[in-house]
Amino acid sequence: MSRTIAGVTVTAALLAGLTACGGGGMDAAEGRTLTYWTYQDRTPQAGQVIEKIRKDFEKTNPGVSVKIVKIPKDDYNTKLGSAVAAKTAPDAGVLDQPLVSKYALDGTIKEVPAGLFPDGTYFKGALDTNLGSDGKYYGLPVDQIGVALFYNKKLVPSPPRTWDELKQVAAQVHQAHPDVAGMVVPKGDGYGAWMFPGVVAGAGGEMADVPGKKILFDQPPAVEALQLWADLLPSSPRKITDSDKPFENGLAAMQISGPWDVPTIREQFPDLDFSVAPLPYKTAPAGNIGGENSVVFSTTKNADLAWKWLLFLGNAANNGAVADAAGGFPVNTRATPVGTGPENEAFLAQLKVAHARPAMPQWIQINDEIIAPAIESALSGKATPRQALTDAAAKTRALLGWNG
Amino acid sequence: MAAPALADTPTAAPGPRRRPRRPDARRRDHLVGWLLVAPAVAYFLVFLLYPALSALYYSFTDWDLRTPARWVGLANYADLLFDDVKYPHFWKSVRVTLQYTLIAVPLTLVTALVQALLVNAVRRGSNAFRLLLFLPVVTAEAAVGAIWRWLYDPRYGLVNSVLELFGIPGQNWLNTPELVVPALAFVSAWQCGISMIIYLAGLKGIPTAIIEAATIDGAGPLQRLRRVVMPMLRPTTFYLAVTGVIAALQVFGLVYVIFSGAGRSVTGGPEQAGLTYVLHLYLFAFRYDAMGAACAMSFVLLVLIVIVTALQFRFVRQEAA
Amino acid sequence: MRRASIYLALVLLVAVSVVPFLWMVATSLKHGQDIYTKVPSLLPLDRRTGAWAATLENYAYVLQVGGLGRAFLNSAWVCLVLVPAKLLVDALAAYAFARIRFPGRDTLFVVLLGGMMVPAVTLLIPRLHVTQALGMFDSGWGLILPNVASVLDIFLLRQFFLSIPAELEEAALIDGAGRMQIFWRVVLPLSTPVLSVVTITSFLFHWNDLVWPLVVLNDPDLYTLPLALQQLVASPDGGRAYYVMAGATLAVLPVIGVLLVFQRRILQGIAFTGLKS
Repeated sequence: MSRTIAGVTVTAALLAGLTACGGGGMDAAEGRTLTYWTYQDRTPQAGQVIEKIRKDFEKTNPGVSVKIVKIPKDDYNTKLGSAVAAKTAPDAGVLDQPLVSKYALDGTIKEVPAGLFPDGTYFKGALDTNLGSDGKYYGLPVDQIGVALFYNKKLVPSPPRTWDELKQVAAQVHQAHPDVAGMVVPKGDGYGAWMFPGVVAGAGGEMADVPGKKILFDQPPAVEALQLWADLLPSSPRKITDSDKPFENGLAAMQISGPWDVPTIREQFPDLDFSVAPLPYKTAPAGNIGGENSVVFSTTKNADLAWKWLLFLGNAANNGAVADAAGGFPVNTRATPVGTGPENEAFLAQLKVAHARPAMPQWIQINDEIIAPAIESALSGKATPRQALTDAAAKTRALLGWNG
Repeated sequence: MAAPALADTPTAAPGPRRRPRRPDARRRDHLVGWLLVAPAVAYFLVFLLYPALSALYYSFTDWDLRTPARWVGLANYADLLFDDVKYPHFWKSVRVTLQYTLIAVPLTLVTALVQALLVNAVRRGSNAFRLLLFLPVVTAEAAVGAIWRWLYDPRYGLVNSVLELFGIPGQNWLNTPELVVPALAFVSAWQCGISMIIYLAGLKGIPTAIIEAATIDGAGPLQRLRRVVMPMLRPTTFYLAVTGVIAALQVFGLVYVIFSGAGRSVTGGPEQAGLTYVLHLYLFAFRYDAMGAACAMSFVLLVLIVIVTALQFRFVRQEAA
Repeated sequence: MRRASIYLALVLLVAVSVVPFLWMVATSLKHGQDIYTKVPSLLPLDRRTGAWAATLENYAYVLQVGGLGRAFLNSAWVCLVLVPAKLLVDALAAYAFARIRFPGRDTLFVVLLGGMMVPAVTLLIPRLHVTQALGMFDSGWGLILPNVASVLDIFLLRQFFLSIPAELEEAALIDGAGRMQIFWRVVLPLSTPVLSVVTITSFLFHWNDLVWPLVVLNDPDLYTLPLALQQLVASPDGGRAYYVMAGATLAVLPVIGVLLVFQRRILQGIAFTGLKS
């Protein structure tokens, strides 16, 4: 008897479980559902901002529901790739800049329809990160991000403007407080390699000349940039900066980071007195530009709606808040940035002189597999910056089949 | 233990066969038999056999999962082994993995043996000790990675502050290339509970008469351990070493979590010091869209596992001879 | 004296095993900045005053905002469906392999055992491809069906079924009972030890599994606990240790509960099967 009951219970549990699992995709029964993929929220507040915009969109488009799927940045490309392969790609979603041209080439994403938006809606620099190799647009920008120098006001009364001043300040801080590092020197990992081009630009250099098929990061500007990081290490020991949140805990006087970090630090470490300044430079102020583009996937049945949603995210009224939630700045020329104050000035100044990453599909792999290790080998003293970058450039040329 | 039991597998099944049954009953038995194994066989075909064969096929192709695979013959294998432009860190990942295996497996076995001997030596509280020592094993590797990432923090972590209590200077464990593998191996030894339980079973299986005889012959505890206990435990040690090596060669989840975030996992820690074989494979498969090459990597690993296991078997046979 | 030193050594080893968990719980109960003390504290104390300052706000955060609450339910559902389903598939097959004579049985069994030798990594990508082709990618089904049988478990169950005296079943057969009746009424009730070992180990495995959910799931609404925890570590604000430790505590507690309740079965079972989870 009790066995029958057990059997029934198991069967019931099975059935209940299966219905619970199958429930995911069923809510499209009434009206149209638009699925949009984006990066994980930087903060809970950012999540609320996007949630409000989603509801506004549903209100202005009755019968439409938008499902937003949030995925951490590190895993995003991976997950998107397998979703496209499984033909379960969303209707629309954020796409990493180097992937736009790749996905455009193999037909994974749709071309932007002619006349979708009037000229001058978006900043040209941000819009042009959506160009395919055929010179057509395949996506719309959502926000733009640059990195800048965060400094602890107690330790650094006035921020360094040039590389020489940066080295001086770092040395002074570490000398006065042996427990404190001058600066969190970026590492030879994916993130450090992502920031590196902005520093190279500060010496007037570029990483690569894509149309001319030339690798440039073995040239003097890049070598000098890497030398700068290596020179900073003695006054910024890794032993200090590798602990959890060294800048926030007052153990590092400076760090390079993006606008997303400002509210995070304010909320988590209210006692920290810090500000943000443009990146120190060698020859001319410069920085890197990142940010998000959004695209519409070819498999969508709701293309018109998807473009409408992307325009909605980028319109003058919403783009300020959307960009802020993504941790960046508006791409719409008429939108107002949410944040104010000296931090924002610094980032905006930085964006005006920003240089884009080389727009090529292989850049992600080159960034992770070649440039990051080269940076690390120079920073650990296993090679000089020149050796490390010459070697890395040779590898990159061989990988791409370029001669220059 | 699975290994010795395998010997008596297929034929010796003492089924109900002494009484001859009517032919229609036998035919019905055939049908029932097939019906009962059908789900498992279907699973086997769809999720084991077909994937294994198609992994082999795809290892000879250029394939990104989205567009049709293109046959490239042995190019993936050749490039993996010899092209350090396309796969600059392949051999590094092999070295990291072998290094990890060489440290982690002996460390785990020694820890497990010590734990088992101690637990076996006490009567009161041995169950509680056994249970507490087993705790780390049942913990999800995602949680293990998260916990140890925080334990190893150079400034706020517990590991360094304990070391400093003993006057040993704290280390920057997860950011010093030379220390990454030992730090990971220590975590694996921390999770040695299963080996400990199996050793414990092995110890219980040693007849007390043998130990007593050795004691009467004047053997001290260490001598007894070396001359009597260890030889008796040899099959257990061998089994644990083989399964331990196979598991260590495939370590992934722990490193993936430990180096998660801020682009650290994509390079496997400082100077690729934590870039294990399977992490490298995962990156090529899922980050750089090189599924064909990743399949080739998985077969190279398969061969590596077979070789290492065969070597271990050989080593043991030589010892015995 | 000797016994004292043995106990001392044991206590030290146990401390190494257990203290990380205590510290995990302590960190999860601390207010944000209290985790950053020069001398780590195993108690949730205010870093300035040293007064008791425990909080549950980290749990509230990870459960609601961090998605751990949903992930907890997802993991529970997956295990509740997968573990019994797997047990059923495996036990039926094991019973047939142990007791029923049908053509091709022994060859089939050997072939199945061969499948056990292929490392999981080799199967990962093509298995994902099959799952995609079957339309189960990024769904609960995709977590369950590709894991719904285990050759190792079939092997263990079969070995146990073989050890049950065949006379019991023969008597029932003569009484006119069908195969299925014998399976349910005679074999399963006699097999509780092995059934519980297989159930518990497969629960532990799937509750803790990170790799398969990592590759097969995209939608955060479907994330299982280990995956949600990994995402918490990888979060853009650098993985706040107090949130991460709260998440880890949530992932570990149920498993410790299972271990405490079923300790005898689990520990004996592992010694018996030599399982490597």
